[in-house]
Amino acid sequence: MTALARLPENAPFAPEAIAHLNQVIGGASAVQRTWLAGFLAGLDAAQGVVAAPAAPPAAKQKLTILYATESGNSEALALAAKRDAGKLGFAARVLDAADATVAGLADAGTLLVVASTWGEGEAPQRAIPFVRGLLADDAPRLDGLRFAVLALGDRAYVQFCETGRQIDERLAALGAVRAAPLLECDLDYEAPAAAWMAKSLAALREDGADRVIHVAFGQAAPEPLAFGKANPFAAEIMELVNLNSSRSGKQTVHVELSLEGSGLTYQPGDAIGVLPQNDPAVVEAVMAAAGVAGDDALMAALTARHDVTTLTGHLVRTLAEATGDGGLVALAGDKDALAAYLPGRQVIDLLRDHPVRVEADQLLAALRPLAPRLYSVASSQKAVPDEAHLLVSAVRYAAHGRDRAGVASTWVADRRRVGDSVPVYVKANPHFRLPVDASVPVIMVGPGTGVAPFRAFMQDRDAGGVSGRSWLFFGDRHYTHDFLYQLDWQDWLKRGVLSRMDVAFSRDQPQKRYVQHAMLERAGELYAWLREGARVYVCGDAGQMAKDVDAALRRVLETAGGLGAEAAAAELDTMRRDGRYLQDVY
Amino acid sequence: MGALSKNEVIKAASRGLRGGIAAGLGIVHTGSLAEDDTQLTKFHGIYQQDDRDLRAERGRKKLEPAFSFMARLRIPGGAVTPAQWLALHDVAHERANGTIRLTTRETVQFHGILKGNLRPFMQAVNAALLDTLAACGDVNRNVMATVDPAHSPAHAAALQLARDVSTALLPRSRAWHEIWLGDTLVEGGEAEEEPLYGATYLPRKFKVAIAVPPQNDVDVFAHDLGFIAHVDDAGAVVGWDVTVGGGMGMTHGETDTFPRTADYLGFCTPDEAVAVAAAVMMAQRDHGDRHVRKHARLKYTIETMGLEGFRAAVVDHLGHALAPARGAVFSGTGDRLGWYAGAGGVQNFGLFVQNGRIHDDGARRLMSGLRAIANVHAGTFILTPNQNLVIAGVEDRASLEGMLREYGMVAGASALRQAAMACVALPTCGLALAEGERYLPSLVSDLDGLMAEAGLADAPIVLRVTGCPNGCARPYLAEIGLVGRGPGRYHLYLGAAADGTRLNKLYRGDVDHVGILAALRPLLHGYAAGRRAGERFGDWVIRAGHVAATMAGNRFHDELAEAV
Repeated sequence: MTALARLPENAPFAPEAIAHLNQVIGGASAVQRTWLAGFLAGLDAAQGVVAAPAAPPAAKQKLTILYATESGNSEALALAAKRDAGKLGFAARVLDAADATVAGLADAGTLLVVASTWGEGEAPQRAIPFVRGLLADDAPRLDGLRFAVLALGDRAYVQFCETGRQIDERLAALGAVRAAPLLECDLDYEAPAAAWMAKSLAALREDGADRVIHVAFGQAAPEPLAFGKANPFAAEIMELVNLNSSRSGKQTVHVELSLEGSGLTYQPGDAIGVLPQNDPAVVEAVMAAAGVAGDDALMAALTARHDVTTLTGHLVRTLAEATGDGGLVALAGDKDALAAYLPGRQVIDLLRDHPVRVEADQLLAALRPLAPRLYSVASSQKAVPDEAHLLVSAVRYAAHGRDRAGVASTWVADRRRVGDSVPVYVKANPHFRLPVDASVPVIMVGPGTGVAPFRAFMQDRDAGGVSGRSWLFFGDRHYTHDFLYQLDWQDWLKRGVLSRMDVAFSRDQPQKRYVQHAMLERAGELYAWLREGARVYVCGDAGQMAKDVDAALRRVLETAGGLGAEAAAAELDTMRRDGRYLQDVY
Repeated sequence: MGALSKNEVIKAASRGLRGGIAAGLGIVHTGSLAEDDTQLTKFHGIYQQDDRDLRAERGRKKLEPAFSFMARLRIPGGAVTPAQWLALHDVAHERANGTIRLTTRETVQFHGILKGNLRPFMQAVNAALLDTLAACGDVNRNVMATVDPAHSPAHAAALQLARDVSTALLPRSRAWHEIWLGDTLVEGGEAEEEPLYGATYLPRKFKVAIAVPPQNDVDVFAHDLGFIAHVDDAGAVVGWDVTVGGGMGMTHGETDTFPRTADYLGFCTPDEAVAVAAAVMMAQRDHGDRHVRKHARLKYTIETMGLEGFRAAVVDHLGHALAPARGAVFSGTGDRLGWYAGAGGVQNFGLFVQNGRIHDDGARRLMSGLRAIANVHAGTFILTPNQNLVIAGVEDRASLEGMLREYGMVAGASALRQAAMACVALPTCGLALAEGERYLPSLVSDLDGLMAEAGLADAPIVLRVTGCPNGCARPYLAEIGLVGRGPGRYHLYLGAAADGTRLNKLYRGDVDHVGILAALRPLLHGYAAGRRAGERFGDWVIRAGHVAATMAGNRFHDELAEAV
């Protein structure tokens, strides 16, 4: 395809000259244009004139884009920022906080940070050594550095965007210059993050000018519409079975989704995003408690698009402003009271504690968009090319006098059937992948639903012909009733795909027993595997399990490896940095 | 004769009952042991089972069968101390399914023990000075004795003989201690000599019971070997009648298998009794059928050799002949329940335990109650042959009565219910064809109704139900015996003697619950109208011509009525 040649409007000619030139070259053939270009270049060369290039090649401004990621969102934003920065003439590099040191930033010149916070205000685990170093008393000065920080978080947690905040404040305290104000983003970060990125990159330009001439040679053909978060694929459920026995107190469903025709691809370690729907009973309860009369459209919106459970400070403030209700206003205005009130409570609790009447649009404005839920994929496309398997634990508990049910998990477990569809997309998780070198041994720690990616790993190695050794630590409540995928593990063990397995079931004996106990019992062998370069993968509960497993690994290094406490901790940091100790916890 | 039966090969290769059990315990991805090893664990008192209620659902859930283990203790004579009972109570909750099952052979068994809990379970049992040695398997099983050693000197002698025989006939292998307690291998790992058993132990299980007439609570004629006490005027045991060749198990549809009541072999003095037990066992070891396992019990050995031939084999081992048997008269096979006094006025309480299942069931809180009693009781707990429990040697009767009431342990039960027994059967027993203990309670309720209707409310009739023909609840010695054929279907047997001396006879085949009631209703009415004074139901059905009397085991399948 030959594009019609036209000079850009910002070419260094007067507008009328541009028009004349366009008249000439616009209709020129490729041969004519080439001849003209050669003629002009040759003429200048003959007269000793050095032609100035269209874009300045000299000293592009350096930009370091640093990201601290847990789920991959920050990394994806960093990569997008690099593309935009390139267009603005930056010489940009992307740096994982896992690989960064504070001293290494001293001469970076310009720094853009994208940092996630997860759980209760914690840094992504691979970024912990960097953040620790930045906050340390002996952190080096960063005078001369210009920076901007984008913080990602989840408003459901009180310590919202804590890591981004800490980095932003600390960079300034160390003498760096804040070029753009910190932006704190909630789960629906995409649009605000994109707007902030454009403004902040401009602000980070040293001369502030936009002298770069962008020439878009050849417009890219429009890409086929790919399925993604904004455009999920309706995957049909082919199998849905509760893996727990009928005597179990738990319900963990194995779901097989058809990806046929979607073109979606994933790798073991990736997640599948599921866009759930609220329980109509909860929607009705919220509407009733808020005094909102429902029509079908509102009901549909609240069922499919708005988060009717997660209680945020934003919601309290919005409703306080909308209603002027004394109790709500007092709560919204008292930071400590709010921090005490929010944890464990949901929208319905607030509405029952503070009966108010709001308009439908006020309610909608107060609620967050319904966020997708991510589930580690439990299959490999090497084994099941057109399928994705998920392991979904139905979340049920009581809090503040009410029964709670996880939105997505109980939607799938209770209100979806074989033949129904589920809107899904693939969420890559590039930091939780099997080693490229298949001979590297892997140690997998995955109690409960944390075992899902390891089923994907085993399927993958099985289909790929296996080579490295593998060791799975699994645990749950009861051996007889909660041994997820037991027959699969038995088959892989029998065929040597899985080399060994240890288990810990917490409620089968008087003393609770968890995966870390099984690991400590095998300290000697675990250490030997680590010495041989085994990678450690941990997946599952972030609250307690990941910490306990981390402590167990430290003990293994201490007891079997003979390291002191500090050396063991440092060794774990090194393993993290080298990608030999990987977590996918939630 | 053909090849040795499979179990003979497994035993021979087991290195003194070790096999691959220890290695299998270390394999955590399955709750089961290797198939051959599950034969060997029986010698250690352990049966691998799976929850049959759950079988259907597990495959789709990607779960293996719900494996667990049943462990049976060796408690000669059934007597345990309160402290031992407390240990059993605790281990039932910590390592098993929270219930204790009293068996029909004066011991207890625990269900639902996970493989990973077997070692801690055994260690807890061992710490209570108990064990599961030889509680199952092709060895001498738990030795029974008529209940209550405090009742008379003869009862005390019976318990002592039970303990002595049990000890003398224990396997010598240290495998149990190595595997379960972590003892190191003895003799450099070589299997020990088994002077009584040899490397392949017995062809089949071997059961011993000791009776003190007139009580035949142990069903002495149902066992491979029996001792029956003969006492002098002072009540001291002067010797024992020896009986051989009793046994319950058979196979449906194979008439060359049958239950059999024991024959009198002779009479021995108290000093000779243990040697006689060993000699009988060794004669069976030498002559029992090791090719066809269904034909391996002592009863078939005697059928094959003839009683005289077998007697000669015993005499070979014993070194001298036995005196002629004296014979005995029994009054019945039931337990004494409720309060009764023993020698010197000692107070005992026989506690009725439906199906032998100790658990808290609504207001009837046997599990909690027995723990509370064990905490204060100074006497003994005796596990009976009929799945009940005697609290023996009670010092403070008023206090115990208060506790029995507090825990709802004295709720009334009909005479039929008190004398009834059922085996465990579904869901744990792998052999069960039909329900056992889960069926008995409702069956008794309906039969109680029929009996009340017939005016027989307090008539003692021995009812026993098993889920398969192997006979754990001794159904062929019941006046009404029900033996499982398939889900909800039973063979109905009638006409056993209430004193345990005569087997019953098939009366109706493959009847369901409605059919059982329909078959029994006219008989109960007929019995009520036509019985003589003191005549038992099992005798009346024969006199009235409903079934023929089974005068010997090998006649069990003969003379069936046409209506069967």
